[in-house]
Amino acid sequence: MEVKEIDMRGQICPSSLLTALREINANKAALRSGLLRLSFLSDNRDSTATIPESAANMGYGVSVVKEDDSYRIDVFAQPTETEIRNS
Amino acid sequence: MSGAGEWITVAASLLLGLAAGFVMHRSDFCMAGMLRDLFLFRSTFKLRILLLTVLTTMVLVELARQTVLISLFPFPGFGPSGLANIIGGMIFGVGMVLAGGCVAGTLYKMGSGKIVSAVAFAGLIVGSVLYAEFHPVWKSFADKMLILPGKVTLAQILGMQQGMVISVVAILMAIPLVFWWRGGKLVRSSAADGYLQPWKAGLMLALLVTLSVLIIGIPLGITTSYAKAGAWMVNLIAPWHADGLSYFKARAFDYPNRLLGITYCGGPGPAFDAISLIQFPLIGGIIAGGFLSVRLLGEFRIHAKVPIPQYLSGFIGGVLMGLASRMAPSCNIWHILGGMPILALQSIFFVAGLLPGAWLGSRLLTGIVLKETH
Repeated sequence: MEVKEIDMRGQICPSSLLTALREINANKAALRSGLLRLSFLSDNRDSTATIPESAANMGYGVSVVKEDDSYRIDVFAQPTETEIRNS
Repeated sequence: MSGAGEWITVAASLLLGLAAGFVMHRSDFCMAGMLRDLFLFRSTFKLRILLLTVLTTMVLVELARQTVLISLFPFPGFGPSGLANIIGGMIFGVGMVLAGGCVAGTLYKMGSGKIVSAVAFAGLIVGSVLYAEFHPVWKSFADKMLILPGKVTLAQILGMQQGMVISVVAILMAIPLVFWWRGGKLVRSSAADGYLQPWKAGLMLALLVTLSVLIIGIPLGITTSYAKAGAWMVNLIAPWHADGLSYFKARAFDYPNRLLGITYCGGPGPAFDAISLIQFPLIGGIIAGGFLSVRLLGEFRIHAKVPIPQYLSGFIGGVLMGLASRMAPSCNIWHILGGMPILALQSIFFVAGLLPGAWLGSRLLTGIVLKETH
């Protein structure tokens, strides 16, 4: 799976959420098919609430991990029920 | 700085600022975001929190007033309303969205290492000084546009008791909040370390505003200090010019603090007065509160690699907020957390201007600033 990293640290509010929404929409097909994972790096604490909320509403899986002074927010295809059962 | 009253003023303001900065940082409490997200994302979560904050402040301040803990009411600094409040609010709304934070948001975000907010801070000072250049013209326009002279609060205008009007409005505000609370709509999940639920932050901020009213005699206010900081700089570079500007001779307030047994007297001019005692520690406190919060979380780091349009947006937003907070007069913190809870008409007018301003700011942000970024 390809991972695309987008560094948004230091950017003005609400650039992080807008960037995330644009990236998700621009890569819809690759994301849905599980070929791509978007990895956003942000120091905007608010993004750890807003990006997961929006991505989840669009049906994607999301994970948030703190890395040093920033947060890594990953957006990926939601695993299917079969995948969840087999895991 | 001669007596205990002055020192208590400085200490109280510093602690209030420190607590406010810390709480706002931990909960991402951002008034600019509250209005901006309504227009950009149709998201009302943050606005619900703001309503809760205003309602709680309204109840606490009214309780303090009813129990005669407040000596001066309406608070010093509030006056009759007019068109200037609406125009000021509108320009302020554009500015705070472009700057990515209001006058308080800019401070705690700057303290937490956000460089665009530091640029907005510089813009705030520049804007406040620019206002001094056309103060006489604006002041005479604002005075001509005043309505209902001598009346400050809605209760005074309606000729009713303050407690009665506040009770009715508070009940009307509480009804939707009860529904949202029961539906879990005042809580949000966040993966941020040390996250403070915004509703808790709202209650804490309401308490801090009430404490400010009880100890200092007025709600939290910041922006006259930006003008004063600018006045000091102008005075340093061109003292003859500073001396000729009538705004630097104006008086922001002059009232007795009966609790501390001193009289506060001060204005935007380049002198060490009550504004310096009250507002500078508050500003320093909010910056330090943001810094303390971020350091304790291990998240302090300055990321300067930000697209140029965002730097420009921060600066222009700061200038507009600086200008508007003198034109309105005063900022969102003063009007929303101080004036709305007592239903001061000039604060209601300020908010009426703030909404279309924030809408316009959101359009400019997505149409120009962030369009260039991506």
